[in-house]
Amino acid sequence: MSDNSQYQPRIAAFLCNWCSYGAADLAGVSRLQYPPNIHVIRIPCTGRMSPKFILQAFRQGVDGVWVSG
Amino acid sequence: MKSLLEYVGIEPGRLHFSWISSAEATKFQETVVEVTESVKALGPAKHMIKDIRKVA
Amino acid sequence: MKVAEHPRFIDMDKCIACGACYDKCPKRIPNEYNEGLDKRKAAYVRYAQAVPLKYSIDKDNCIYFQKGKCRACQKFCPTGAVDFEMEEQQRELQVGSVIISAGFRPFDPSPYVQYAYANFPNVVTALEFERILAASGPWLGHLVRPSDEAEPKKVAWIQCVGSRDINSCDHPYCSAVCCMYAIKEAVIAKEHSKENLDAAIFYMDMRTFGKDFERYYDNAKEDGVRFIRSRIHSINQLADKSLQIEYATEDGRAMLEEFDMVVLSQGLEISPETAAMCRQLGLELNSSSFIDTASFTPVASSRPGVYVCGALAGPKDIPLSVMEASAAACAAAGNLSSARGSMTKEQVIPEQRAVAGDQPKVGVFVCSCGINIAGVVNVDEVAEYAKTLPYVSYVENNLFTCSQDTQDKMAEVIDEQGLNRVVVAACTPRTHEPLFQETMVGAGLNKYLFEMANIRNQDSWVHSDQPEMATEKAKDLVRMAVAKAALLSPLQEVQLEVDPGAMVIGGGLAGMNAALELAKQGYSCHLVERDNALGGNARSLRATAKGEDVASYLVELSQKVEEEPLITTHLGTVIKDVDGFVGNFKTTLAGDSGEEVVEHGVAVIATGASEYKPNEYAYGSHPKVMTHLEIDDGLVSGEVDPKQVNSLVLIQCVGSREPERPYCSKVCCTHSVETALHFKEENPECQVVILYRDIRTFGERELLYKEARSKGVLFVRYDVDQKPVVEADGEGLKVTVRDHILGRDLLIDADMVGLATAITSHKATDLAQMFKVSMDEDGWFLEAHQKLRPVDFATDGVFMAGLCHYPKPIEEAVAQAQAAVARAVTVLSSKEMMLPGTVAVIDQSKCVGCGVCWTVCPYQAIDEDENGLAVVNEALCKGCGTCVASCRSGAPNLRGFTNQGVMAQIMAL
Repeated sequence: MSDNSQYQPRIAAFLCNWCSYGAADLAGVSRLQYPPNIHVIRIPCTGRMSPKFILQAFRQGVDGVWVSG
Repeated sequence: MKSLLEYVGIEPGRLHFSWISSAEATKFQETVVEVTESVKALGPAKHMIKDIRKVA
Repeated sequence: MKVAEHPRFIDMDKCIACGACYDKCPKRIPNEYNEGLDKRKAAYVRYAQAVPLKYSIDKDNCIYFQKGKCRACQKFCPTGAVDFEMEEQQRELQVGSVIISAGFRPFDPSPYVQYAYANFPNVVTALEFERILAASGPWLGHLVRPSDEAEPKKVAWIQCVGSRDINSCDHPYCSAVCCMYAIKEAVIAKEHSKENLDAAIFYMDMRTFGKDFERYYDNAKEDGVRFIRSRIHSINQLADKSLQIEYATEDGRAMLEEFDMVVLSQGLEISPETAAMCRQLGLELNSSSFIDTASFTPVASSRPGVYVCGALAGPKDIPLSVMEASAAACAAAGNLSSARGSMTKEQVIPEQRAVAGDQPKVGVFVCSCGINIAGVVNVDEVAEYAKTLPYVSYVENNLFTCSQDTQDKMAEVIDEQGLNRVVVAACTPRTHEPLFQETMVGAGLNKYLFEMANIRNQDSWVHSDQPEMATEKAKDLVRMAVAKAALLSPLQEVQLEVDPGAMVIGGGLAGMNAALELAKQGYSCHLVERDNALGGNARSLRATAKGEDVASYLVELSQKVEEEPLITTHLGTVIKDVDGFVGNFKTTLAGDSGEEVVEHGVAVIATGASEYKPNEYAYGSHPKVMTHLEIDDGLVSGEVDPKQVNSLVLIQCVGSREPERPYCSKVCCTHSVETALHFKEENPECQVVILYRDIRTFGERELLYKEARSKGVLFVRYDVDQKPVVEADGEGLKVTVRDHILGRDLLIDADMVGLATAITSHKATDLAQMFKVSMDEDGWFLEAHQKLRPVDFATDGVFMAGLCHYPKPIEEAVAQAQAAVARAVTVLSSKEMMLPGTVAVIDQSKCVGCGVCWTVCPYQAIDEDENGLAVVNEALCKGCGTCVASCRSGAPNLRGFTNQGVMAQIMAL
């Protein structure tokens, strides 16, 4: 893990079903390539996003959290 | 939120917010790259993982 | 009627949109979706968001059809969907009404001599520019110019290309949408530009007359978009393919300016093919080939039973087209209401199996999606891994999980294995969740016991160059989905009875039309009017832009309302209280005869607006200074006699487009031009001068403006910071205005001055609060979506029509009333409705009644109960979860997206 180029962070991505989740689907349709480090959790709306989720994710050992509406 | 994280020892650069509409596939891709790069640059998260479990 | 269905050569039932045919097709042709800026294949799908997402073969360009050899697509199609033997199908349909919405085509300037510069590589049409800016366009949304794919630093827009001109090829009408789209393109281009883009728009009149358009225009000016009032003279190409524009300023100076790129704001026109089809259907077209409609029946064509919507009936933007679409649906269904439901079939749903309390038994279905997933992700490995996860009792890999045979098998497996949770690892829940849920319901499982892992759109397709990582990620996603699925509980959809009656608030032109249309659809309706007579503002109007008499129409309309047994009219009545929600409103009316409670399923708000009474231009101090409604009133009653007026001055934008009312009132330019023509007709000697800021005779109203100029009506432009001055001069008046072309003051003696005053909102905040609907900052009611849901409120079961939404001409008010009814009937026509199970629920033992949740709820779905605690109204809740996130006590939870469920996903990360 000391070698940064090999290091693969785990990132929790909380995506709004209507906006960013849709964009993620469309990125797939368009075959746009991106790093596989993000793990998507679908939420109905960013209003659903609770600070507890962010804390829990870090507590669980993720290296980053991304919330997108 | 970011200052709370900083308080418990997590760098603010690990938390990202963005707004992307369902038609903006390219923006989505660009943001993923950006978020991943910025988290990668900080290296693995060291704080909170075990500390809190010890406390709890 | 007879229709011909062209063959697609790909069986829609078999196509899974994997794109193999596209990959293998060797033919490359210009892509019309991107305006020919890039290439597509002969086996193709027109654009990525196409619905249904199914491929087809373009026969005219297919090598097999043209040369007899190839068939690559057929060889590689994994489902055998390609069928070159398909033939055109002749179908005969038995229908009661027809709606025609064949649309427009963008004006193509390139074949014409006066637009020779359209063929320069860096001169593009607005639609081409639109594709350049689009993320799905040829350059993925990067702002570049075609000649060298370099980012332009200076871009110019030329307005009215193919509009408002009568050269050999052009059109006399205004295309109504180009000003707004040009500003939008300029603003977005500036956003896309890495350097500070210099955007300039060359225009004649800036026509931003729609809701919020004027504000957008003001903001664009503030953001540095340059607006240059000039019709350009010519464009020359320079050696580096940049462009030089020659134009004259308003005061006559000749200018030369260089740009890297020029966008032509092309107008809208009806193609000869569409016009021919309309004629074949026996529909009357006007001189510009648009379908002729009347102001009082805006979606009816000349042939009974044939309705029209969209730009085919005159140039218009998206909100109005969508509004007209609903209006056409209303008109088409009105005559057929007796047949409603006569061709439907009842679905048989098996009894739901009780699973509460049982140990979770999760079935995981891993889809290969042909090679779409399996080509990247090792699906066998994922399936093996899934077997090791807690609570998983059955795992299967399918070639296509969504295919009908797999679905049938899935239902059997659920039954045989006694599964009580299902996880499908495949594409995206946004498109496929309903399909799988239907299978579950068919197998006797509650549809909320389902979860998807998105291993195609968000995995195999986007990590195809890293198959190992993609496989690992697929395992993670399946693990997360299983963790959530194990915690899912069955949700009940609440069934509500729907009261089949409606309430229309406001007895003006829009309200009366809405009430009559509701009656035509077979629904009873309460029409509430606070005044003691029906008619509203229309009572003061003389004629429509098309010259139809308003007064006689109103008499006819009021009479129909009074004679209609399904309509109960409440005059002199106001709304005092509203209780309930969609399907079940209880409204308290207060009138002269006391209070009355009325139950209804839906409400249409059509409360209108009022005329601004100015305190400038000597209004109120001189009897010959009148507002335009007062002049109309006088013309109808005979108090104003055009023969007695030898000099009339009309002043535009009185109270509109100013800081306290930063919107355009939309109808005043046309109204003034119409008034000017009326005076000229009655008294050809009368001198009529119109003082304006921009003449906004949008669409085919432009022809009236042209006629007015040809009949000698004078138009003088003024600036908002140099407004005209009106002074009393004995019996008459003196008007002074700065003329921009001459650069000096003009002095006009006038017998009468007409003020085109703004239309202002009633700002009925009480009504808005009672129906839980919102208003914008100008006091106009706020629609659920400006473009896609223009007559709906965000609150279900409440709709709007007429001036309370925004100033608009009569035909739009009528269309909006019809549209509101069509939308209302979608509620009224179902005897009961099912509410989604994914709603919030409050654990009252944890609630402290702090009130945060009912303040933050965007749908006002949370109320305070008699104990001061929060309670969710499931009929209003949209399941956004904002309350859950906001509560400090953890009392609310969101069914289907519970705290525990999301936490389980996080824990499984």
